[in-house]
Amino acid sequence: MPEREDRIELDWDALEVGETFEKFEYLLTQEMIEQYRLGVMDPEASFPTISHKVDVRQYNAKYTDSGSVNARCAFYCYNPPLAGKRLTVTAWIADKYLRRGKNYIVTEAVSVDEDGRLIDRVITHELKQPSEVGKKWGG
Amino acid sequence: MGRLKRSFQIGDQVSPLVKHLDQEAIDLFEGSAGQTGPSQFTDEDAARETLGTTGTVASGRMSLTFAIEMLRRYFGPEVFNHTGMVDLRFLRPVRPGDTITFSGTVSEISREANGSKITAEIKAENQNGDTTGVGKGSAVVPNAFLPPDE
Repeated sequence: MPEREDRIELDWDALEVGETFEKFEYLLTQEMIEQYRLGVMDPEASFPTISHKVDVRQYNAKYTDSGSVNARCAFYCYNPPLAGKRLTVTAWIADKYLRRGKNYIVTEAVSVDEDGRLIDRVITHELKQPSEVGKKWGG
Repeated sequence: MGRLKRSFQIGDQVSPLVKHLDQEAIDLFEGSAGQTGPSQFTDEDAARETLGTTGTVASGRMSLTFAIEMLRRYFGPEVFNHTGMVDLRFLRPVRPGDTITFSGTVSEISREANGSKITAEIKAENQNGDTTGVGKGSAVVPNAFLPPDE
C-alpha cells in the first residue's frame, strides 16, 4: 500500500473503470466484532466488515481528493466472518458517473476469509463533492 | 424438531426497527475498524471542513447496518446471513441525537431454483418524519422454510 504522502491527486476524468487495487488483508478480531456490535446496538450483528469500508480503503490509500459522501451502498451477505480469521479484500472501480453536474465514483469489493469462504460484497456510490451536504442540508 | 415454515405475501409489513444515534455509537462504529483519526463522523472540525456542516454525521454504512438488522430479524439469520442483501440510497444526513425508524414492505416475490426471493422496499425516517434513506432488500428463502404451496 502506498504511504499516504505518495498518494495521487484524483483526476476524475482519467480514472479508469475496472481499475483493480492491490489486495488488502486484515485480521478480524473478537474485539473488533464486539466494538462494532456495541456501536450498532445489536449483539447479533453478523457483518462487522461493514465498518471497515474495505471497498474505498484501497482507493483512499492510492488517491487523494477533497473527500466524499456516501450516496448509496449495497451489501450482499454470503457467510458471516469469524473472529481470528484473516480476510482478503479485492476492490475495484466499478463505475463513475456525472449526475446534476456532480461527480460520483462507484467502488466494489469482495471479501474472502483464509479458508476460502466468501464473506460479503459491497458496492458504494460516493459523491466526490462532499461540501454539497452542508450546502443542501445546512449546518 | 421441524423448521418453522412461514408464508410471504406482497404487502406484508416488516417489523420496524428504531435506533437512537449518539456520538458514542458513531465513535464505536468507526473505531471498530481501527479508524481512530479525526473524520467527518467523529470530529466537528473535520465535518465543518469536509462537509460544511456544524456537527458530525453518521456514516451511511450505519444506516445500512440497521436495514440489514431489520431484515435479518424478519427473515431469520439462517436465511438472511447467507442470501440477504440491502441496497440503500442516503437522502439526508443522520446526526448524533437522531432517532431513525426503519420500515419495510414486501414488494416482490419470485421463484428461484432453490426457494423464493422475497424483496422488500425499505424506508428510513428521522424523528421529524424526514426520509433519510430509501432502498430495497431481499433474501432467498429456501423451499424448506416455505409452506408446500409456495
